[in-house]
Amino acid sequence: MIASITANLPVFVVIAPLFVAFVLPTFARRMRLVEGLVIFVETLGLVGAGYLASIVLRQKGIPIIYQLGGWPAPWGIELEAGSLGVFFLLVISGVSLPVSLFAKGNLTEEVGSKERVARFYVLYLLLGGALAGMAVTNDLFNVFVLVEVATLSCCGLVSARNHPRAAEAAFTYLIMATLGSTLVLGGIGFLYMVTGHLNMGFASQELGRIWQDYPHVVWMAVSFILVGFGVKSAIFPLHVWLPDAHSTAPSPASAILSGLAVKGYLICLLKFLYSVFGPELMQKFAVHRILALVGAVAIIAGSVLALTQEELKRRLAYSTVAQVGYIILGFGLVNTKGLTGTLFYLASHAVIKSTLFLAAGAMLAATGKKNVRELAGVGRKMPITMAAFTVGSLGLIGIPLFSGFIGKWYLLLGSLEAGNILSVAVIIAGSVLCAAYLLPVIRGAYFEPGPEEDWKDPGLPQKIALILLVAAIVILGVVPGPFLELAKRAAAELLALQ
Amino acid sequence: MLALILALSSGVVGGLIVAVMPQARSRLRNLVVLVFSVSGTIFSWQVALMVFAGENFRIVGEFGGLAWSLDPDPLGAVFGLIASTLWLFTTVYSFGYMAGKHKQRTYYTFLLISFSVTLGVAFSGNLVALYLFYELLTFATYPLVIHERSSGAVKAGAKYILYNLSGAGALLIAIVITYGWAGNLDFAGGPILANCLKNGLNWLLVLFTIGFGVKAAIMPLHRWLPAAMVAPTPVSALLHAVAVVYSGVYGILRVVYSVFGHELMAELSFSSMLPLIAAFTILVGVTIATQQDVLKRRLAYHTISQLSYILLGAFTLQPSGLTGAILHMISYSTLKVTLFFCAGIIAEQTGEIKVSKMGGVGWSLPMTMAAFGIASLGMIGMLPLNTFWSKYYLMKGSVAGGRWPLALVLIASGIINAVCFIPTVVTAFRGKSVQPNAERGGRVALMLAPTLLLAAIALSIGLWPGIVWPGVQAVVNWFF
Amino acid sequence: MKVLLEKLLVNYPYVAAVILFMIGALTVLTRSNLFKKLLGINIMESAIFLMFVAGGNIRGGAAPILGEVNPKSVYINPLPSALMLTGIVVSVSVTAFALALIVRLYKSYGTTDARRISQLRDEVTER
Repeated sequence: MIASITANLPVFVVIAPLFVAFVLPTFARRMRLVEGLVIFVETLGLVGAGYLASIVLRQKGIPIIYQLGGWPAPWGIELEAGSLGVFFLLVISGVSLPVSLFAKGNLTEEVGSKERVARFYVLYLLLGGALAGMAVTNDLFNVFVLVEVATLSCCGLVSARNHPRAAEAAFTYLIMATLGSTLVLGGIGFLYMVTGHLNMGFASQELGRIWQDYPHVVWMAVSFILVGFGVKSAIFPLHVWLPDAHSTAPSPASAILSGLAVKGYLICLLKFLYSVFGPELMQKFAVHRILALVGAVAIIAGSVLALTQEELKRRLAYSTVAQVGYIILGFGLVNTKGLTGTLFYLASHAVIKSTLFLAAGAMLAATGKKNVRELAGVGRKMPITMAAFTVGSLGLIGIPLFSGFIGKWYLLLGSLEAGNILSVAVIIAGSVLCAAYLLPVIRGAYFEPGPEEDWKDPGLPQKIALILLVAAIVILGVVPGPFLELAKRAAAELLALQ
Repeated sequence: MLALILALSSGVVGGLIVAVMPQARSRLRNLVVLVFSVSGTIFSWQVALMVFAGENFRIVGEFGGLAWSLDPDPLGAVFGLIASTLWLFTTVYSFGYMAGKHKQRTYYTFLLISFSVTLGVAFSGNLVALYLFYELLTFATYPLVIHERSSGAVKAGAKYILYNLSGAGALLIAIVITYGWAGNLDFAGGPILANCLKNGLNWLLVLFTIGFGVKAAIMPLHRWLPAAMVAPTPVSALLHAVAVVYSGVYGILRVVYSVFGHELMAELSFSSMLPLIAAFTILVGVTIATQQDVLKRRLAYHTISQLSYILLGAFTLQPSGLTGAILHMISYSTLKVTLFFCAGIIAEQTGEIKVSKMGGVGWSLPMTMAAFGIASLGMIGMLPLNTFWSKYYLMKGSVAGGRWPLALVLIASGIINAVCFIPTVVTAFRGKSVQPNAERGGRVALMLAPTLLLAAIALSIGLWPGIVWPGVQAVVNWFF
Repeated sequence: MKVLLEKLLVNYPYVAAVILFMIGALTVLTRSNLFKKLLGINIMESAIFLMFVAGGNIRGGAAPILGEVNPKSVYINPLPSALMLTGIVVSVSVTAFALALIVRLYKSYGTTDARRISQLRDEVTER
């Protein structure tokens, strides 16, 4: 019994949200049932991911492989719940459960009627399923399909807000994202032509053998995939769609888009770079240098752009551009410490940025004020929201005891090991800039007198969601134990592949 | 062990209690603040005395796979003693100074929290814990810097955060490198890098110097300190003349003697540069101080200069130099807090903040100006005051290190100090008194009592240096 | 030169794919009309589909239908064609979604021109 559950879990975590997404519209008018179902399936996902993680940890990193339809590898499609996959599954479910709690009973104002809310949840679950799929998939073409599912649901989530600007942002996002996935598809096409395999493991082996015969095609594949995922995960200067999309979406959607969706594409990019091309080929084509450079530029440029934003949600959106830079920079450090750091940073940013967006959303809903300056005095009136925002900010800056610090610590260790002094300097400069754009918000909220208005903390589920996320930030910062272990193992596996 | 935990936690606990107390209950609040300050002070004295007696505390833990430890050694104990004793004085002074001012609850909350964090810096046993508290200190003291809430205060606060976070960034890089080379960050068990002869050691020392040098206000990293003078006077006195800047100085002492060790330092080419930087800061700082008309700014630049005395002593790498540095840490802090306290009383009671307009102030505030005069003599290094001894050992250390020009720098600086302070005292007693006598009432008494007591302590250390000698000896023996 | 030209001629499907891709990308990036942007995306996707299918093709090969009496021994690779079927489905759904968004934008702004919309943006408030 337990063995069969274990064997089927990798596919279950993907299928469950997708299945619920399709039945959800039938109860569209019964909001409580819809919300309950969503929270239930997210909880189930978290339990499943936790169970998978415990198994993978106990097996010392031997992945759980599921063959769809029972067809063995080169012909059939494989799902592989290895350290990396399980790690990302934990991140997905760990973030999307609190976010769906936050959304409970809180969406009608931003989204509209009950039917629209139900549709929002459909997209939300589709996105969750697609991301879970990205975590466990081991097949090149499946990556494309999942990326497309995620893209469409992301665009849907952006356009969910009842406002023409949302539609506009969603359209720009859709065009840019489709451009990106077209490029990704092209890259997959080149890889398939060269290797004749769609399974990542086989493609990688084949590529290692024959890349010298087709260096140009491999180059094309690398660059198509880099640019394609670059657009989708908003690597500077391909980020132009992100600030509009992430700041106009309803707050839970902003949280999930900035926190998770972008990370999904990054995980796919990571799989392409390390599981398909492999570290050796990356270094031969100097891809790691490009990544480190692009990441450094993104950190500085994103932070500076964030500094210039008056609107809180836009400032957070630009901050995502900067933080993606850290992760990309980490991809370019081809060593265990650097990859551990980048994976941990990815998880930590997922949690922190969702916290920040949810807190910002709660403040926006309670005060109706968009701009940082207008939020003076909000700290005393909305203590829990602002406390969550403060913890998130400190985490993002990288103060010890919060999760961001551990990520940065390992990124620094990795940069030093790679001998990359530029990235060391940029990582630190990014922290200072991050303080420069987030601390004024906190200062205004706590230390400046605000208007005499009755602003209140959001309702109970929203408070619980914020507290859960804050707890995650602190736990990841103080006792990351098994989580860090998973990241380390995933990094080692990614590097040892060839 | 319990004493250590209690010493560290009393500030935070007290701060949190004050934070939830109603705004209006100011008497009750003052009582709570006093109780927790006293308990923090008593327990840190207990810890320090036990450390001097050779007892060993060690609390270790881990966050995120990084080990931290609290493990006070004599140097930390001395710093803890200075900080906690002066904290108590400042708290009492604050009761007088802050009476009737706005946002007292925030003020006392963060004053108490900073107390714990400063003790944390003092008692940390490895670089991770030191970094943690060093970084937290910036944030814990930030609300005190912007206490006025004016646009000038907010600007100064932004500068404060920017400088200190950049410094902490450099420090983090340095710690990461150290960790990568030595694989261990504990202070106990000799210098961390003792057996690591590598090419980049000079650069590592530069990074550490920048990291801690920001808070120690080494020129040219000092700009935040004069700006931070917008804070209320007790904060300027305690944090920006002692606690915060001393955490930087303490960090540099740690780097020199616990991270590199004096033997390795002697081999590094950059370490021969360091005394020159300190000498430069000493001379330029005090020269700028003489140009300042606003008394608090004058004191701020003077602080910058005096901090480098301590660093100079440490950089000589001689036992006598370190003796001088530790003595100066103790002596200078008592005198400087006295000076700031006087400046605060003058500003509160007469409204004068500029030296040039203080004519006659001495007649209306005789006791204050007397304390100011004593402290001024101390800053010059006159005999009955405690700084005479520290300067003596600093010069001895410079000569023993084969760098006699540094002794000349110290003498020159003493002369400029005289130019800086003697005219101030003279001005105060020249001209007619503006007000009859402003030293009356309970509020002034609360400010005056700690001021006079501190001046008396400074004088008695000068007369009987033996009372601090065991502590200083313990530090020197620990490292040499 | 001659060799290069020969190569290009022999691989004409790929040349066509590249040209189509260029046309599509140019349209997406330079046109401000939302419909034209969408058309550009579709052209780009067709280019990729063409490339994929051409990659699986073998000149003179037969459709890989087993069981039928087939004189030829060479079959073309069916997998790319199957994959592109999925790709086309995805592309159609993207198009449908984009059209729905255009309709919504037209209803709120009364135009389908991206530049005009960004001018009108601040005038239209929440409904």
